[in-house]
Amino acid sequence: MRAIYSQTLYWIAVTFVLFPILVLLGIYMRTVQAGGLAGLDAWFYPMMTLHGVGMVGVWYVASMACAANVLAKYVAPSPAIGRLALVGTVIGVVLLLVCVFLGRFAAGWYFLYPLPFKGEWPAWAAVVFLLSLTVLGATWLVWSLDLLRAIASKYSLSQALGWHYLSGSGELALPPAVLIITVSLIASVAALVAGVVVLVLFYFELLIGAPSDALLMKNLIFFFGHTLVNLAMYLGVALAYEVLPQYAGRPWKTNKIVVISWNTVLLIVLVAYFHHLYMDFVQPGVLQYIGQIASYASAIPAAVVTIFGALLLVYRAKMRWNLASILFYLGLVGWAIGGVGAVIDSTISANVRLHNTLWVPAHFHTYMVAGLVFLVVAYFYHACQEASAAPESTGYHKLLAALLVIGAYGFFLMFYLSGAYSVPRRFALYPAELGHGAVYSGIAAAFAAVFLLGFVLYLVETGRRWLKAVQAA
Amino acid sequence: MRSLLMPALIFTLALAGPARADPAAEGKVLFEQKCASCHTIGGGDRIGPDLHGVAERRPQEWLLRFVTEPDKMIAAKDEVAVRLYEKYNRIIMPNLGLAENDARALLAHIQAASSATPPAAAAPPTPLRMPRPQLIAPQSTILVAFLALAAVIIAVFAWVALSTRSPAEVDVKKAYGVRKIFFVTASVVLVALLIATLPRAPYAGADVKPDRIVHVAARQFDFVFSDEPIVSASDLGRVPTIQRLELKAGALVEFRVTALDVNHGFGLYGPQRQLLAQTQAMPGYVNRLVVRLAEPGQYKVFCLEYCAAGHHLMQSGVTVN
Repeated sequence: MRAIYSQTLYWIAVTFVLFPILVLLGIYMRTVQAGGLAGLDAWFYPMMTLHGVGMVGVWYVASMACAANVLAKYVAPSPAIGRLALVGTVIGVVLLLVCVFLGRFAAGWYFLYPLPFKGEWPAWAAVVFLLSLTVLGATWLVWSLDLLRAIASKYSLSQALGWHYLSGSGELALPPAVLIITVSLIASVAALVAGVVVLVLFYFELLIGAPSDALLMKNLIFFFGHTLVNLAMYLGVALAYEVLPQYAGRPWKTNKIVVISWNTVLLIVLVAYFHHLYMDFVQPGVLQYIGQIASYASAIPAAVVTIFGALLLVYRAKMRWNLASILFYLGLVGWAIGGVGAVIDSTISANVRLHNTLWVPAHFHTYMVAGLVFLVVAYFYHACQEASAAPESTGYHKLLAALLVIGAYGFFLMFYLSGAYSVPRRFALYPAELGHGAVYSGIAAAFAAVFLLGFVLYLVETGRRWLKAVQAA
Repeated sequence: MRSLLMPALIFTLALAGPARADPAAEGKVLFEQKCASCHTIGGGDRIGPDLHGVAERRPQEWLLRFVTEPDKMIAAKDEVAVRLYEKYNRIIMPNLGLAENDARALLAHIQAASSATPPAAAAPPTPLRMPRPQLIAPQSTILVAFLALAAVIIAVFAWVALSTRSPAEVDVKKAYGVRKIFFVTASVVLVALLIATLPRAPYAGADVKPDRIVHVAARQFDFVFSDEPIVSASDLGRVPTIQRLELKAGALVEFRVTALDVNHGFGLYGPQRQLLAQTQAMPGYVNRLVVRLAEPGQYKVFCLEYCAAGHHLMQSGVTVN
């Protein structure tokens, strides 16, 4: 348990270094789109690729590290595999930096086939990118499997999924975090296996010239990407289930409804990805309709069970508000609001007007930044504060949270407005007809700077505690 | 010695390729296949420069080398090549794998086309910014619905957070009753929305009889319109293409959209500069997008799937009369 905790402290350091850099890349992108960095716009797409892969990767590993730390309370994850994940991630990141900065690789974070082979970057850059993903994917797959192994050493599959609650036998108390982490890890294995298949097909073309089917590749890539992002979000929610009760002074336990809810989530998350392919009209129609039904269905367990449960936990509770509990609470708000934006976008007839406009980054930034990031950094603060027991100022923590919220939601609002006004995503510069997108970009960059300021203050506040935690460890 | 010379001569001739009957005609096909996505001859600058009269502006040796190995010339910091790279959005002209013979054929076509067409008139200055467009339905409805729901969520969370100022025990049974009402309400609303929206999906049935079919081939970084199918890059230059697409107002039009290289998006913007319809353009597949463009005016097509450095420059126009 101690070794896993030490590794969590390393993961916190990795996140604290990488996240502000990736935010800066985001600010750079919005500034370029605003027409504010003439001469530096040629780096837009490579930086977009780095920002996308980096953000998805960082918050996946950060949420996995927190999940491993939570699990270590109940089961025994392997410290050796934890180290492998850390080393593999660092190697993967170095390879990614090489292909982006030296090779100007710019196929985007979901690198739709066959773009990696058909861009303006050299062939070696595409190979290094694929190698980077191979290292990351392989180590994360082993990491996911090890955490599942650790769970399986104490709970059978049916117990870990809480099925004994359905038969009315709740003698074996299953912490909700373990249930959610189990669901997320099963999804993680499925996503990473799909990622491996994608990479193998890319290597086939690279080595023996066997081309792949573009529609199949798109399905596999979105299954991989969609599932990975969603399960990271679920891991963040698991942290809230684990920690928020400590601040509310009330329990948040597993029961039949929670079990049904999270088992349903496991089924839904595996088929909801079809909503990414609505505009591929050749995809069989039944899959498109399943995509919308599954996306709508995903709102029920999230809203009725988890969000309602969190509100009930906090309602008239003797809450101890500090940076951790405030951010956990705000994280659930971000998840809910981003979820509404996502459900709207998952409506096929609305998607025709919103797909690949800035509405898409609008909703995924909402639940990634104001949802997942808030939940994970809340846990980071909580873990460091527990170890350091440093004095706290609730007023200052509220100010910090206010800066993060104002920066983040101002930034998101510009995305939502741009999306409603049909401004496309992933345009380095806007043509005159879409020039209004540049105005929103400039305002968004300013709000993002406010968010970054808030995060730097958060870093100072948590960093001091992190140092004490490292010394204590 | 003679026996050695003959095979060497045959080998050299084979490498040089067959003599070309009409280099300009071959160059025209090559131009459509390899160059027209970024260049015009007398049509003005696109991703790259207008090539009208380029043979008079640059030495032939330089042109031949630039067409066959532009990457090497930029890497070697050739002054003109670097200047062009800087001027045209720093998008590197790719090495298209053309041999010297191909380059000569291309130059022959460019020369012939240049003498047959006048140079492009100076384009009217494009305003850097146009006024913000009017928000149209359903986008306006979507935005209002989203903001309203977000406001409700914020209000509920704020109310619950404020309730912690006066802590008290909660009647869990009563709360579960509220949850049941919430569950039933949310389920009914979502099912109603499914019933209302699923039939409005944009997928055309096989029985649709459009007034006109337009074939669209997307490639890095332009859209090619044609009345005939274009299924591969080799069709370009052979299949007649539509330079200015004009459609009748109110007509039912079917766009059959494919891609010749990577994934692209075919996003159709109306005169109000808002997205009206879209579909993906995918290599190896044809997506059928059926739309009725009721309002006359200038429509734009933008690429809505990221496709590399020239993505934001990939656009086309449709006139609806």
